[in-house]
Amino acid sequence: MLIYNRINCYKMKNILKNISLVLIGVATFSSCKKEYLETTPTEQIAQETVFTTTGGALVALNGTYRQMYTSLTDHGNFGQKSAEIVSDLMGNDMVVHAQGYGWFNAEYQYTAIATATLNSRSGRTWFYYYRTINNANIILQNIDAATGTTEEKEYIKGQALALRAYSYFYLVNFFQQTYKGNENKPGVPVYLAPTSEGNPRGTVQQVYTQIVADLKQAETLLTGKTRIHKSHVNVNTAQGILARVALQMEDWPTARDYARKSRGSIAPMTAATYNAGFSILSNTEWIWGLEVNVEQSTIFASYFSHMDNTAGGYGGLGSYKKITKELYDLIPVGDARKEAFKAPGSTVLPSVPIYSILKFRKPTAATWNGDYLLMRAGEMFLIEAEASARIAGDEANALTVLNTLVKTRYPAYNFTGTGTALLNEILLQRRIELYGEGFSYNDIKRLKAGLNRPTGTGNHGGTNFAPVELVLPAESPKFLMRIPQDELNTNKALTAADQNP
Amino acid sequence: MKKLLQSLFVMMLFAITALAQERTITGTVVSSDDRLPIPGVSVKIKNTTRGTITDSNGKYTISASSSATLVFSSISYQTVEVAVGNKTTISPSLSADSKSLDEVVIQVPYGTVKKSAFTGAESTVSSADLAKTQMTSVTRALEGRVSGIVATNGGGQPGTNAEVRVRGIGSVNASSDPLYVLDGAVYNGSIVSISTDDIESVTVLKDAAATALYGSRAANGVIMIQTKTGKKGDAIVRANLRTGFMNRAIPQYDQVNQKDYYELMWEATRNRLQYTSGQTPALAGQNASATLTGPNVLVYNAYNVPGAQLVDPVTGKLNPNASLLWDDNWNTALFNTDALRQDYNVSVSGASDKTDYYFSGSYVNEEGITKFTEYDRFTTRLNINTQIKPWLKGGTSLDAAIAYQRNNVASGTATTNPFYYSTMMGPIYPVYERTATGAFVIDPTTGGNKLDWGNPNQMGARPYAPNSNLLGSLDLDDRSNRPVNINNNTYLEASFLNDFKFRTSIATTYYDASSTVFQNSLFGDAQNVAGRSTKRDNRQLTYTFNQVLSYGKKFGDHNVSALAGHENFKFKLNFLEATRTGFPFPGTSELTSAAVAEGSTSYQRDHAIESYFSRVDYDYKSRYYISGSLRTDGSSRFSKNTRWGTFYSVSGAWRASEENFLKSVSWINDLKLRVSYGELGNENLDTYYAYQALYGLGWNNVGFPGAIVSTLATPELTWETNQTTNIGVDFSLFNNRLQGSVELYDKVSDNLLFDVPLPISTGISYVKRNIGTLSNKGIDVTLGYTAIKKSEFDWRIDLNLTHFKNRFKELSQPEIISGNKKYVVGGGIYDFFMREFVGVDPTTGLGMWKQDVLGTNGLPTGQTTTTTNFTAATQYTVGTAIPDLSGGITNSFRYGNFDLSFLFTFQLGGKFYDSNYAGLMHVGSYGTAWHTDILNRWTTPGQITDVPRVQNAVANQSGASTRFLFDADYLNLKNVTLGYSIPQSFSGKIGLKSAKIFANLDNGYIWHKGRKGMNPQGSFNGNTDYVYPTFRTFSLGLNVNL
Repeated sequence: MLIYNRINCYKMKNILKNISLVLIGVATFSSCKKEYLETTPTEQIAQETVFTTTGGALVALNGTYRQMYTSLTDHGNFGQKSAEIVSDLMGNDMVVHAQGYGWFNAEYQYTAIATATLNSRSGRTWFYYYRTINNANIILQNIDAATGTTEEKEYIKGQALALRAYSYFYLVNFFQQTYKGNENKPGVPVYLAPTSEGNPRGTVQQVYTQIVADLKQAETLLTGKTRIHKSHVNVNTAQGILARVALQMEDWPTARDYARKSRGSIAPMTAATYNAGFSILSNTEWIWGLEVNVEQSTIFASYFSHMDNTAGGYGGLGSYKKITKELYDLIPVGDARKEAFKAPGSTVLPSVPIYSILKFRKPTAATWNGDYLLMRAGEMFLIEAEASARIAGDEANALTVLNTLVKTRYPAYNFTGTGTALLNEILLQRRIELYGEGFSYNDIKRLKAGLNRPTGTGNHGGTNFAPVELVLPAESPKFLMRIPQDELNTNKALTAADQNP
Repeated sequence: MKKLLQSLFVMMLFAITALAQERTITGTVVSSDDRLPIPGVSVKIKNTTRGTITDSNGKYTISASSSATLVFSSISYQTVEVAVGNKTTISPSLSADSKSLDEVVIQVPYGTVKKSAFTGAESTVSSADLAKTQMTSVTRALEGRVSGIVATNGGGQPGTNAEVRVRGIGSVNASSDPLYVLDGAVYNGSIVSISTDDIESVTVLKDAAATALYGSRAANGVIMIQTKTGKKGDAIVRANLRTGFMNRAIPQYDQVNQKDYYELMWEATRNRLQYTSGQTPALAGQNASATLTGPNVLVYNAYNVPGAQLVDPVTGKLNPNASLLWDDNWNTALFNTDALRQDYNVSVSGASDKTDYYFSGSYVNEEGITKFTEYDRFTTRLNINTQIKPWLKGGTSLDAAIAYQRNNVASGTATTNPFYYSTMMGPIYPVYERTATGAFVIDPTTGGNKLDWGNPNQMGARPYAPNSNLLGSLDLDDRSNRPVNINNNTYLEASFLNDFKFRTSIATTYYDASSTVFQNSLFGDAQNVAGRSTKRDNRQLTYTFNQVLSYGKKFGDHNVSALAGHENFKFKLNFLEATRTGFPFPGTSELTSAAVAEGSTSYQRDHAIESYFSRVDYDYKSRYYISGSLRTDGSSRFSKNTRWGTFYSVSGAWRASEENFLKSVSWINDLKLRVSYGELGNENLDTYYAYQALYGLGWNNVGFPGAIVSTLATPELTWETNQTTNIGVDFSLFNNRLQGSVELYDKVSDNLLFDVPLPISTGISYVKRNIGTLSNKGIDVTLGYTAIKKSEFDWRIDLNLTHFKNRFKELSQPEIISGNKKYVVGGGIYDFFMREFVGVDPTTGLGMWKQDVLGTNGLPTGQTTTTTNFTAATQYTVGTAIPDLSGGITNSFRYGNFDLSFLFTFQLGGKFYDSNYAGLMHVGSYGTAWHTDILNRWTTPGQITDVPRVQNAVANQSGASTRFLFDADYLNLKNVTLGYSIPQSFSGKIGLKSAKIFANLDNGYIWHKGRKGMNPQGSFNGNTDYVYPTFRTFSLGLNVNL
């Protein structure tokens, strides 16, 4: 009996010892819970960390540039250049050959922007520019407190301001008629600081006032700064954006002066380089561009997929983009720019239809890299020429600038007309020189001539694929994108009445 | 000594007498369910005390006279009597008694409980049910067998799971998936890696009382999977061998043929030229005929007459002299009509006094119903439990699965998706290149027929998906995944001080999937970059470590048990990916041979939960039960101040049948009423880092690192809670012939983890907030009725019904539009919101939709009108995807050695938006296939039809509207099983304990109200996509026990 008890007791002791060991284990486990429940992401980083130093702020700035050429949700959205394709496809001079895989068909047909869903063209455009603005605003809000030199802060701040202005400029033009004559119409909501509360539309004037103010400040901040990469806005770029804005505002002196400042001493590229000049950042005429390398290319969801008709992208798979016969015929033989399109009768590239654009070719057939042009001196020549032509007494400058530019493409060129003839010539040269570079939509709107798409062989409305709209009056509501319904639902400062007609 | 001799004498005398009158009878007693021998069955001669019991192989020997009757009886089996007559072998099969609630043991969090004592709501599917269905993933076997759940029945890629929802849709932006628990440990490994043959039972826990101990993650129900363990007796070797065929249970839509296609496209062209370009009908007709097979129109001429003469410019009819040059079918080209499925499992199980064991090996191979898809899986499992010391028990279960999955793209509108491609490809486009006379072209490299890629240098640039041929490219491409899933769960359990137990267990899961996406270098999307290969590795490690102290004691009529515990959960995911292009040689997808680096990334994600929990159960006289549980969890997903959530449940049950006044009621065997209330949590977001203001990395600008804003700070974000009230009654009546339960519940998800939309102009589209309340109210009914129970014939009917209503009670804003759904207070999560199609304008042939009439104040007056302007039409809430009623009914028969069962699943009510059908009802996209319904299009003024006229590019005629919204009611012959147990007299001779052959049919036929081709069970939200359809499986199997 006694022995039995002792064994039992011994057992019990052991059990208790084991259990207490385990319980100690539990206690140890619990005591490290502080760290246990703290996890940190590796794909993301806290905002505070980003803005500790100017070096971190520069990371935020570079991310903002990257999203200007990143694919968003589908193969028809890849930042700034997709907006530019829309601009040209909604103009007079670009024809979609066939439906292909369907991308951008509805934009060309003028049916896309009637839809107000988030995934529609209107919704994606709205989101893309406002995302850029928000990233710029967060940089602007935090840059002053970051550790770094004043020079570094000014470099970053100036660019954030310019990007914000640039985005508002496109927004206000996509979502409202042009500036002149519509100053008091609803613009787009303006945000100067990050927030989660919506703002009202305000007026077009208010938006432009902010754009000009931001660009002027950017100019000041960026003066004397050397940029670390051509994707960054430098002082010439800020001035160039302002010239573009002033042209839209019909502020001719500003347009002229800033276009001249922007191009500075940059000469137009030569006729020999013109036709290889639209996918390489190092081109001397480029003032601003995005470098898209192999890794960061977005493949089928890219500018060259849609615009390089010779590559195996969507353009080359059926929805070839073509120049109208009408405009093609206006380019004289001997003008290097005529080579930017497949000539009737040409046997090169047999699978590519005639009049197809050959201007935008990615540099390497076997990869998808190809840099995105955002601004070049040629545009500044044309802005200056147009502004001068419209300023009384400045026609001589207009002629000089026009001839300087065009001669480099077409040595036989020598225009001597004046008055309306001069202005019309400059506008024609603008269509030819800047063909496919994203200016059509804004030009149609500011020139108030409406949409006038030529028809017939080689033009719009072929037997197989036709745009729904061929003619629209100036300031037709069909030019306007629709504010996404989700914005109207969530923005307390907007109601259904704020929607575009 | 004298006494002994006396006894011997008496015995001998007795034996001689017996010998004179009696014979020796032998036999084996088996179970009618699985034909396995039953040891320990009492074999008695009726009206005597003489008898024996069966040995461990179910065998017995007894002496009996020919006039005697043998009585075979055993607990939990029905007693069988057999007259001896002139038989010398009697081998009866005993059928299992319907179990009373007292005998059923169910799996609950951190233990098991007798069903009679359980105060929560659950449903259990047994291994016998699972054995009837040929599903690789157990998730696909639950539909129709358990009340209170809905499951998708899309086929899915081979080797994928069905999605399951328990009691409604519990969340909007956080996960609504149930929690899976494998052998008592929370499981986030691969479900499809578990061999269904190794599963003993699947228990679905539904209410708070049942799930509260998993409080942190139980808000959407818990599915407990219990694997098999060894049973006392000799080792049993069991082999389950099945092989069968699979094909589409949902066929392709009806598509127009070549003749109709050319005529319709001619008409779409003529209408465009006439209505859009303003040509006269005659000129438009001529132009349409002239260009029909020309460049950028249809390009291909499938007939033997010149393209311009193919369709008559006046009548629009096909040239009567035309005959087809080819008749290729992409549906048959890309699909396997009889995909082979093989499934083999061999297990060994048994138990000695102290140790039980179960180990198995299994192999599954499934060919996909589309070509170039496959699933191949090896699994092994080892489950051991042992009594180490009288006070110490331990065990481990270890399973490993190695799989290979070859996939196709099976969602979305990429033309690499064969479901999209085969649906949308016009009928006139050949699979193989043809000459002008229609002859095949020989491919010089393969010697076979050359494929047509829709290239300008072949038959022309095909307008639909040029430069592609999936039969060619999918063969050369590689989209495959090699998952490895290893799972281990080890425990030790010590008993002490008589009434206490301490159990600690550690469960670890290692999952690693190495995958390849390779686009070949010769054809298709990556041709121009000479091939593109992406290699990924996704490695996930999970461990759950817990310590549970439990106590149980009976004080007279009072029975008390309690437990307290602590648990750590940790999850770590590592992802690595790299892509290269430029493959100089075909035949490899490995990156080393490719020249150009296109991208690479890696990241890690961590998740941790720590929990403390306790439960107390009390009952009085096994009649009144009360139970309470409390759990607190901290989650790494939330900030320090909001991370801990406390959850609880209280429940009670009353076994009315134990009361004296009901004990005398003979037809009531069991009657139990249950009530429970509890609060559970949900933190299962799509992100592991919900609370911080974060910048997304990887937005590099060339060589400069870049980041952009990704989320706003939400330090106040915390647990979504779920309050569930459940009232249930369990009953067993008429000598246990009718058993069932009825449950009513009200589940309110509160503080929803909601993606609250922000004004997009702020640059961020949403922020996560705890806003909104979603309620699910419903009723679950389970009934089982044993219609006939005889020794040779059984018939049982099982029915389960599920009904619930889903409703928002609170939202962050008056309305939120999410795709084709609108959320409003009072509405449900799957309420369709779209334009109402009202037919076709008989004068113009344009579609018409309903539109609100607006008053002078700009607000709807309540009156409506119709409009042909799609964008101006008003959108309305037009029904929900959630059915009124769904369920399943099983009829099981047994006649002698045959058994037969049918399971039908069904849904009543609910809508389905068939966007795939809408895609086939386009207005005239060159190259794209048409549904045969387009033959009813409007053609002449005054015509009444519901299909608008065809006309290329006319806007919005097939825009999303109720035109494509259908009733989703269906009836599915989900499973038929016919089995034959080979008589023991035969199987015994070849050394088998039992053998059974059987045939199964899964998803035999689906009746529904939509168009042929629609899969009403494809999704919870009633939307479709170009996905793997439900497949039908027919298999033959053999089950032997040795």
